[in-house]
Amino acid sequence: MFKKLALLLALTACSLIWAQQDSIFHLREVVLSDTQLKNFSDTQNTTKLSDSVIEKNQSSLTSLLRYNSVIYFKENGNGMVSSPSFRGTTAQQTAVIWNGININSQLNGQTDFNTLTTRDFNGIVVRSGGGSVIYGSGAVGGTVHLNNAVSFKEKFENQLHLNYGSFSTYGTNYTFNVANNKVSANASISHNQSENDYEYLGYEKRNENGQYQNTSFNAHIGYRLNSNNEVHFYSYLFDGERYFSGTVASPSKSKYLDFNTRNLLEWINYAGLFTSKTKLAFLNETYKYFENRALENFTTGEANTLIAKYDLLYNLSSKIKINGILDYTQNTGSGSNFSKRKREIGSFSLLFKQQLFDFFSYEASLRKEITTNYESPLLYSLGGNLQLSNWYSLKFSGSKNFRIPTFNDLYWQGSGNQNLKPESALQGELGQVFATQNITFTTTAFYSKITNMLRWLPSSSGQWQPINTDKVTIYGLEALLEWKKEFKEATLQVNGTYAYTVSENAATNKQLIYVPFHKATSSIAFRYKRLIFTYQNLFNGAVFTSSDNVYDLEEYLVSNMSVDYKMGRKKTIMFGFQILNLENKPYQSVLSRPMPGRNYMMNLTFNF
Amino acid sequence: MIAALAVFFSSCSSDDEQGFLDDLPLGAYDNGVLILNQGNFGQDNATISYLSNDFSIFQGSAFAAVNPTKILGNTAQDIGFFNDLAFVVINASNKIEIVNRYTLQYVATIDSGLDNPRYIAFANGKGYVTNWGDGGVSTDDYVAVVNLSNYTISGSIPVAEGPERIIESNGNLYVAHQGGFGYGNSVSVINASSNSVSTSIVVADVPNSLQVKNGFLYVMCGGKAAWTQDETLGKLVKIDLSTNTVSSSIDFAVGNHPSNLYISNNEVYYTQDSAVFSMALNATTLPSNALFSTVGQGVYGVYSFAVENNKIYVGDAGDYNSNGKVYVYSLTGVLENQYTVGVIPAGFYFN
Repeated sequence: MFKKLALLLALTACSLIWAQQDSIFHLREVVLSDTQLKNFSDTQNTTKLSDSVIEKNQSSLTSLLRYNSVIYFKENGNGMVSSPSFRGTTAQQTAVIWNGININSQLNGQTDFNTLTTRDFNGIVVRSGGGSVIYGSGAVGGTVHLNNAVSFKEKFENQLHLNYGSFSTYGTNYTFNVANNKVSANASISHNQSENDYEYLGYEKRNENGQYQNTSFNAHIGYRLNSNNEVHFYSYLFDGERYFSGTVASPSKSKYLDFNTRNLLEWINYAGLFTSKTKLAFLNETYKYFENRALENFTTGEANTLIAKYDLLYNLSSKIKINGILDYTQNTGSGSNFSKRKREIGSFSLLFKQQLFDFFSYEASLRKEITTNYESPLLYSLGGNLQLSNWYSLKFSGSKNFRIPTFNDLYWQGSGNQNLKPESALQGELGQVFATQNITFTTTAFYSKITNMLRWLPSSSGQWQPINTDKVTIYGLEALLEWKKEFKEATLQVNGTYAYTVSENAATNKQLIYVPFHKATSSIAFRYKRLIFTYQNLFNGAVFTSSDNVYDLEEYLVSNMSVDYKMGRKKTIMFGFQILNLENKPYQSVLSRPMPGRNYMMNLTFNF
Repeated sequence: MIAALAVFFSSCSSDDEQGFLDDLPLGAYDNGVLILNQGNFGQDNATISYLSNDFSIFQGSAFAAVNPTKILGNTAQDIGFFNDLAFVVINASNKIEIVNRYTLQYVATIDSGLDNPRYIAFANGKGYVTNWGDGGVSTDDYVAVVNLSNYTISGSIPVAEGPERIIESNGNLYVAHQGGFGYGNSVSVINASSNSVSTSIVVADVPNSLQVKNGFLYVMCGGKAAWTQDETLGKLVKIDLSTNTVSSSIDFAVGNHPSNLYISNNEVYYTQDSAVFSMALNATTLPSNALFSTVGQGVYGVYSFAVENNKIYVGDAGDYNSNGKVYVYSLTGVLENQYTVGVIPAGFYFN
């Protein structure tokens, strides 16, 4: 009897251990390289754009975020250079984070959102507000995260996506995803191209010299060495060719080539309460600009970035997380406009989170960089999350963030200014979240003061040089709404975003150019059985195009509509048809550069 | 009259009173100066402002008031007058808009045969337009010949890199090779009857402005700035037009880079950074002190400049993104009038 009991106990203990290990494995089933996005973002707003949202939008990151986030974009004509303004900041003050690595250009400091293909990623997250402590330079207005979430769950999936539309626009994407509990691999290859020769509504002209094509490849391989060690390799390549279209009153004959590669090797070690990640990343960006597409002459620039990172997370208890990150970054740049230069930056960050009470958690973090290139401020952030009831919570945070000068700012031949300081931003926000089973409504008020803003200005001899000059005061309000209602055979989903943004030059009290006071988006998706109907709206308020606020571009409201039908059970085929700019409205995102009128797109997606 | 009424009523709908006045065509744009506002590169926001000689009438956006459906274009560079016409050279739009110089009514557009056009002059019943070709290519620069009866480009004359200002004298055209994206140091002489380069005169680095007076061509050479890491001296070069050779020159001190040469009433004017200088036409040494400085008006580098009717006109581009300013001074440098013009005031054309 005693023996039986002992055996039972032993078995139970065993199964308890198993259960525990299971739950650890279960927890680890989805691995994200960008751990901080999950662990240290409780006091700010993050919005995840799901696969279904990614699938329903056009393939450029610009289109996806323009219609589904508070971020405003200025696009030099459809598919051309696209720069964001997030919470009233400049294009260099929004950082794009690929699997935890900041990939903003070292040459000009920004990411061109038309050089990233959304279908290459399985998780795109928008994180509002400062994040320089974690993500470094440029994480001022907010960050956009492109992730490849990795799973060690048995699967074998293939997806082929084809689309064809107006202006001879073609797109293909093939993604495969295989995994067992040891190995996980996914790869995606995309190609997009368009003649892009749309009519300029209201003018007897077409978008000439605006054709583009790009090919991208994204892959991840993860290997579980044993229950405590994993190795991951991420790789991304983008190869794009764009002819730059002109304006209404000027032709263009230029061409621009982008070639970017990003590689990341990561070793994760789980040792009890500690998780360590050792990362090695290598990034390359190269551009070539042809003033005349017919000639061989071009100007070029190239930057290589090497990052070595050690990230140690200590789960002191189930309620306390401490995370230290050591980072060494080396950038080298060269090009037609400056000779080869090297920059080295070392940094240390310390992040702390505590669930102090069931209803209250807080996060505190610090970062200090050491570099010979500029005087680096101490960066910090502090925030709290107060769960006042099961449907209402408050989030608040304050942080100091920065944006460092780029290679162009520092070294441009004859103009570069090596005495530049980083732009620095002190900011605070207060948000409230109402959440029930079907509805989440978030409003956030934000305030930010940016000093040492970099601007290129002519000296008295007419030579343009970057200097730290402006102070900018930003304040505003963001609102996000998600509402979902399930019926027996139908689902209704409504999403909306709205941003009110004042971004003023503190010396003149004038709104910065190309920052709208108002921006709103909405989408309504209705599924009935296998049919999905989607209706999207974008309202973009007027923007000033001159710093004296004399000239402006008028507001626009653009709508898209799509219908999708899904066939099959396990292996599915989805047909889709979209009408973009449904009301055929003429509008311009950047002065003198009209956007397309009504146009059509057909999609075909095979899952097998 | 009906057209004028229509404009009047459509203007009434504007709630901007300033704009309301500004929207009406004045009818006559002579006895005053046309101010060409370059606008921003890459934007179609070039404009023309008008200021009467007696300073009683000013219109910020005159071309648009007369031609509301026309877009002047992307980066206006120069205006040339020929008979009743004004030829507006639009650099990035690769075109010339031709309007009646007295009413600003649209006449025609030349939009082929030009490649990065810069400045225009007239000789022998033809127009001559300097063109850079591709900025990055040093061998494709030319002067386009304009047929003034059918407004087409009838020929082209290859020249050295970076042809900029062009001026006519006695059937010859003198082209300053400021250098485009590089640095030039010569003046080409084009014979307007043979449409070919007859000779080239070496001056000094970066010839940026030209004036003809009493049989001499005066060429202001800025010299290369310090940031080029190959700084050279500025120089005022005087060329005898009867022999097309340099007759004399005056060197500027190290670090001084003059521009905006203008000769009026036997007085030579030029600017250096924010200061205006003057000296007698026959002076052999440079003035040691500036006539006056524009710093009081916040001018940070004089962008455009003219001396006419005993007044000094200064164009200030400000931050190069907002509307610019024009300041009018007496000949002794007393500020008398100021106006908000379009974006980047680039030139004064007295009509």
